[in-house]
Amino acid sequence: MNFLSHPWRFLAQIFLLCTFSFFLLPSSLHAADPQLEAANRAYAYGGYDESAKLFQQIITTRGYSAPLCFNLANADARAGHLGDAILNYERARYLAPADRDIDHNLQLARKQAGLQPNSYRWWQIALRSIDWTVWLGMLSAGLFLIFLALVGTAYASALAAATKIPERLLKNIFRAIFFAGIPLCLLLGYIELSTVGFNNRIEGVIIASKEATLYRSPFDSSDSVGTIPEGELVTVEDRHNDYLRIEGRDYHFGWIAQKDIAPIIAGSFDAK
Amino acid sequence: MTPPLQILRMTLRLAAVLACTTVSCLAAASVSQQISPAEINVGEQTIVTLNITNGSVNDIQLPAVDGLQVVGSQSSTNIIFSNGTLSRSMTLAFAVTASRPGTFTIPAFDIHTEEGEVLHVKAMKLLVDGNGTAPATNNAAVATTPAPMPNAAANPAFNPNGPVVQPPASAAPPPPRPGNNTADTTAATPGVPRDPDGGPAKVFILITPETTDAYVGQSVRMRIDFYIRMEVQAEQNSLPTIKGSDFLMNAFMTRGRISQLMLENQPYLCETWGTAIAAPKSGDFPLSMERDTYWVKSITGGSIFDPFGGFFNRHANLAHQPVSSNLLTMHIHALPDEGRPAHFTGAIGHFDVTGSAHPSSVAVGEPVILDFSVAGEGNFDYVRCPVLAEDPAWKQYVASSKVNYRDEGHMDGVKSFEQSIVPKKNGELPLPAASFSYFDPTAKQYVTVPIPLPVITVTGSPTPIASTAPEADNDSTSVAATTPTSEFLPNRLDAGSLRTSLIPVYRQTWFWAVQSGMLVLPLLGGLLFLMRARITPDDGSAERAQRQHSMQQEEDAMAAAVRRDDAVAFFIAARHAVQLQLGARWRLSPEALTLGEIRARDPQLAEALEPLFIQADEVIYSGQAQPGIDLAQWENRVRTELLQPQPA
Repeated sequence: MNFLSHPWRFLAQIFLLCTFSFFLLPSSLHAADPQLEAANRAYAYGGYDESAKLFQQIITTRGYSAPLCFNLANADARAGHLGDAILNYERARYLAPADRDIDHNLQLARKQAGLQPNSYRWWQIALRSIDWTVWLGMLSAGLFLIFLALVGTAYASALAAATKIPERLLKNIFRAIFFAGIPLCLLLGYIELSTVGFNNRIEGVIIASKEATLYRSPFDSSDSVGTIPEGELVTVEDRHNDYLRIEGRDYHFGWIAQKDIAPIIAGSFDAK
Repeated sequence: MTPPLQILRMTLRLAAVLACTTVSCLAAASVSQQISPAEINVGEQTIVTLNITNGSVNDIQLPAVDGLQVVGSQSSTNIIFSNGTLSRSMTLAFAVTASRPGTFTIPAFDIHTEEGEVLHVKAMKLLVDGNGTAPATNNAAVATTPAPMPNAAANPAFNPNGPVVQPPASAAPPPPRPGNNTADTTAATPGVPRDPDGGPAKVFILITPETTDAYVGQSVRMRIDFYIRMEVQAEQNSLPTIKGSDFLMNAFMTRGRISQLMLENQPYLCETWGTAIAAPKSGDFPLSMERDTYWVKSITGGSIFDPFGGFFNRHANLAHQPVSSNLLTMHIHALPDEGRPAHFTGAIGHFDVTGSAHPSSVAVGEPVILDFSVAGEGNFDYVRCPVLAEDPAWKQYVASSKVNYRDEGHMDGVKSFEQSIVPKKNGELPLPAASFSYFDPTAKQYVTVPIPLPVITVTGSPTPIASTAPEADNDSTSVAATTPTSEFLPNRLDAGSLRTSLIPVYRQTWFWAVQSGMLVLPLLGGLLFLMRARITPDDGSAERAQRQHSMQQEEDAMAAAVRRDDAVAFFIAARHAVQLQLGARWRLSPEALTLGEIRARDPQLAEALEPLFIQADEVIYSGQAQPGIDLAQWENRVRTELLQPQPA
């Protein structure tokens, strides 16, 4: 091909090649993922404990993703570890709140543990689906536009002289940007703070076998005030040494040993 | 004694005097009574306690009863200032022994208070056993038969009356009663240890268990009284603890209830806790408590020559040493093996059990919630969820529970259980038989209580099969809406997008730092805008200033022309002034405003201005004005009518 004689055709072919490679790349990647294949193979042949171990290794070495947490939860559920299964389904749902398959398996695991369903409603899915980096970009863009509008208004005369656009038109444009940007940014900020407040609860799942004991105070000698079944989702309110103060359903408060509960967001108990 | 202690002591004495003289006439007197225990062996003591509130008495004697002897008595006064009300209670305790077995009745009698009121004390019964084998219980009304069990006939396999098993006879000597624990105890003040000088001890602890005979695991209510004489009172930084490891004690409040009282004319501070103890194994065990105690040993400093030394230079020397309570022997009996229900979990006490189920109609595979409530008095740590009989039609899940205690000792309470149970087939399904077993220490028998539960209507297919995820109806309050299929959906084949941490972005510092930084941008823009506006001259304002300046010049010219009687100059200035004003209003050049232009915009105004413009044209073109023109009148008209601000 003569690049000099047909430059546009050459560029178009390069573009098509790149696009094709882009779509091929992911399939070639997961096809060549021996760890994932081994974990799925163990699951398919009934080695659920082994499968769970392999999925956990992948997560530990490479990081979390909704599919990995989902697969790990499936293996835990099949192995009979309902507390761990519900924990990992909750983690998968945290990463992909709108995924119906995750919710389906989570509700099935909760049912097997004798727990009430806890599917998200549409607005909960909407609030939990917010991509905060995109949100940050939108808010930053809004604030930057306000900045531009103010600067543009201040230098409208010079801008008009440079661009031959009537100064009055320029000022009207900047004024419109300013008065639209202010409420937009306020709205975005309000939604952001409200959503952060809604999502900012520290939640955990009971992983103790069968049930965990709730104590009146965070000490080994404390009275028991009840039990919470394995797999139940609770909110962590406070921490004292190796005990966490939790709130279960129906304002059911008490202290629970940290070994009996695992956080949905790994590491979040450390912040307490 | 330290000055604050002196002041406190004086204040308390003053309060006691005031209370004695005033309180009782402010509120009606009342009396409560107790005989504890109500069942003793020959030679043992029981305590008859009379509590007189808001009244004072000088001398009370129990009525004489053949076979009973009063071997000692004690009185104490408690003054309480609560919710703005001062009240006083006087407690009289009589130690009574029996010389022979039988059932004795201390007859009713009246108490005449110093205030002239008559208080009625009811008759009290005392059962005295001759063989010394009856367990001592503190209940005045001893239940001899178990409470009737609800719906006992509903489950014919259940024997509500179960075997009655007596605890083994205690071969040990009668347990010491609270109040006569030491050899130094005098008849005048039973229970109070003595100092070597014969007076009541400055610091002592009395423990009063509800009974000294109990079963393994049974919670026994116990009262702990820590007494310290006011003159040696000091701040304490510890709690009473049980000596040894033979008993488990429920946790109690860090600070007990504080009261003041008089013992043998000495003011004491009394700190009281309520708790419960339980023994993990059978046998006879000593029960005693101790508290690491501080008290004032001596006061140093101060001088008789220094009138202020007593207040400012004195300080207390504290003594510090464990103080032991009275020593009791607890007789702990093993629970009988005979008649022990299969599902007995160690619950000992007196309980009422209720159960309910909701909803009453479900589909196959949907959970029914069972709510059980176990209320009463006993060792709630051993109270477990009522047991459901195995039923192939139902699948059972682990129950959750919670306890609400209604007393300080954590013996009286309500334990609630919530258990899910799922039907495996459809139809009118009775719920599995539920029952709760406990040991009644009063009746000395195991009790199994059947819990009636309703029949549940179960609809739908017994084997729900679905191959895909249900349509999302994410109302979490609806059980039926989220009925999942019976199979887990398969694994994902790709790993998805990975992230090293689940911590959300908004919990990262940089997320908020970036937004704070971006918030600075509009502020910066606003600042630039203001600075630019201040630097750049405002064309409009300059024009306005120029116009006002010109107007002022023309008005001055008009005034000067009137003074000079110069009609030409006047009309030129007047017309220009009007043009300036109208030009500003219509944003036109003043010179461009002819009479025709004004008429096109405002005909009415043009008609008013026409004479002025005609005169101006005439004088300008002719160079002179008509004779007889009154310039002062023209000036007045121009100023008042034509140069006034016009509505826009």
